[in-house]
Amino acid sequence: MTDIVVDRIVKRFGAFTALDDLSIRFADGEVACLLGPSGCGKTTLMRIIAGLETPDSGRILFGGRDVTAKATSRRNVGMVFQYPVMYPTLSVAENIELPLRQDRSIDAAERERRVAEMLDILDMRDLANAFIEDLDAGSRQKVAVGRAVARRSEIVLFDEPTTNVEVNAKLQLIRAFKTVVQRLRQTIVYVTHDQTEAMTLADQIALMREGRISQYGPPHELYNNPSAEFGGWFLGNPGMNFAPAVLGEGVIRSPLLVEPLTAPAGLSGRAKLTIGVRPEWIEMQATASNATVAGVLVDQAIGIAGRYLTKVDVGEAIVKVKTNARPPVAVGERVHLIVPRDRALLFADGQRAPL
Amino acid sequence: MSSVAFRSAVKSYNSAPALDNLDLEIESETLTVLCGPPRSGKSVLFRVLVGLEALDSGRIEVDGRNIAGLPPAERPIGYVPQSFALFPHLTVYDNIAYPLKLAGVARAEIAQRVDRAAGILSLGPLLKKTPDQLSGGEKQRTAVARGLLKNARIFVLDDPLVGLDYKLRERLMDELKDLRAELKATFLYATSDSLEALTMAQKLVVLDRGRVVQHGDADEVYHHPRHLRSLELIGFPQANILRGTSDGATVEAGPLRFSLVGGGSAGPIVAGFRPEALKPEAGLGVEGRCRVTIVENLGGEYVIHVEDKGASMVMSFPVAERPAPAFDTETPFSVSPADIVLFDVASGERLACRAEAAR
Repeated sequence: MTDIVVDRIVKRFGAFTALDDLSIRFADGEVACLLGPSGCGKTTLMRIIAGLETPDSGRILFGGRDVTAKATSRRNVGMVFQYPVMYPTLSVAENIELPLRQDRSIDAAERERRVAEMLDILDMRDLANAFIEDLDAGSRQKVAVGRAVARRSEIVLFDEPTTNVEVNAKLQLIRAFKTVVQRLRQTIVYVTHDQTEAMTLADQIALMREGRISQYGPPHELYNNPSAEFGGWFLGNPGMNFAPAVLGEGVIRSPLLVEPLTAPAGLSGRAKLTIGVRPEWIEMQATASNATVAGVLVDQAIGIAGRYLTKVDVGEAIVKVKTNARPPVAVGERVHLIVPRDRALLFADGQRAPL
Repeated sequence: MSSVAFRSAVKSYNSAPALDNLDLEIESETLTVLCGPPRSGKSVLFRVLVGLEALDSGRIEVDGRNIAGLPPAERPIGYVPQSFALFPHLTVYDNIAYPLKLAGVARAEIAQRVDRAAGILSLGPLLKKTPDQLSGGEKQRTAVARGLLKNARIFVLDDPLVGLDYKLRERLMDELKDLRAELKATFLYATSDSLEALTMAQKLVVLDRGRVVQHGDADEVYHHPRHLRSLELIGFPQANILRGTSDGATVEAGPLRFSLVGGGSAGPIVAGFRPEALKPEAGLGVEGRCRVTIVENLGGEYVIHVEDKGASMVMSFPVAERPAPAFDTETPFSVSPADIVLFDVASGERLACRAEAAR
């Protein structure tokens, strides 16, 4: 069993702290996506796991073995980069076979079997004898994936492999990746800035911000239960709404709440409070009731899959609302919103607070 | 008022028409998104409007006045181009302020307007830097700020947010919409991103082969496409477009088979429908079975890619609606015939005939 333990890693580049005492464990046989905006440290973390970068302090363990001092070549990890490193004069099959030749325990018959299996998984049998230089960027990346995983190293690292690939080739690559993962069950760390890619590919997402892990969990958990405003904002098209809230006499009031909420014990009166709710969790209707808050519809557009994306001014905030049905009123008119009680999340100074 | 109109606009390159007697009236004080495939005339339309090229014939009217003969600097139009040409020796501030200085605007007013534009585009901390100290996204925001500073009521924005990361685009889309409303300006907008197009558009103009094939409210164009391009270019995820053949009574198009009513003729035909019309269940009328090739999770929506008989289709539905079918499994699918739109292969025009469940 080869899990990856990142233990209190610190990495600085001059005055800039890229990784700030970061600890995390990637479980055996799972796909973990490192997700975050540029500069969050995700690529640096992957390069330290690969041995391409040396940490200032902290340890990296593979399956309990400390590999911190080991060179990349001794770590036995497969790698796929943004720009695939390949041999243009070799065929697709030869490119996949090359790393297998470096492993003396694999004989010729086994090499042939594994190359055939990989071509099969990648749906590239017809291209076995094609030269790399004749392939498009997406197919090249598929070969890079095949080459990285064919050795069956227990750990495979991906550094934004779909960045330079056009959209159809990207979908092909995602499909090939899913097939590989399903068949080979390696421990995978996949770096991406694309939330949809992370939500689509990951068993676990490690959301990163400023050299730290902001939240680590399955995609639906990060989406539904963000531990910080940052996660609520970063995930989602568009991200979560945040409206101001105030604490007084033991209750929390906000323009998004019909009834004040009982404040949790220990909530500081000095904390900046917000109520967070995702656009698709809010319901909209033309008439007021005792469950609605009033606002004015200020913008209307069509969003993903024909759902309506509107903006409603509720006084101290403008909230986005995603509905399947056409909004019941026109832009400029009054509208009434229902924010389900269990969908309103409380944040204090940017961090999630219990309700 | 800040209306723009093209009247019988003609522009050809080597006798190939890029604008083919094009008529278009852009509504004043709205944000209109122009959509068109490559060589549809979209870029040419922008270039002749801002004065980078001249029409062969026809008029371009701004508030009723023909501006087709005016040099670019004299046109009352702000231009935010896709490529960001900045002066390398000037700071961000001076780059943004440059057109105002040229126009002789007073220093105090320049400072005020630059600060405002810099605030909207989050350039405040960068104003003293020079372009070689900026990232690609920062250079782009500088160019957008400069384009928006012109004292004009009409702005042409040619894919201003291309390549910026999603979260920054999300915020800038809101800011640009608010700015347009505040300036009471007319925005003509083009983008290569179909979700951005829908998010921004109040009005949509669909171009094909140098002509306007549909122009209307975004909601209207989305739900009632009159031309294949309207379905194909507008919407996220992209609509399903299947090429098929008709014998006059029945259509076979990829995995779909349905009857034709209302005067269909025999021959090739194009059938299209939105991803949200396709469901992973039987019962909607036009149906079959397919293989799930990718399950994309957008957080609030699933995008499911499926395959059957060599054709790919896409379905999309809210995550709250139902669970997604599993990757690499087989699933039934169906689409209501009322959601299938039929087009003429040669012209791309919508046909009067309709789909009905196969008899």
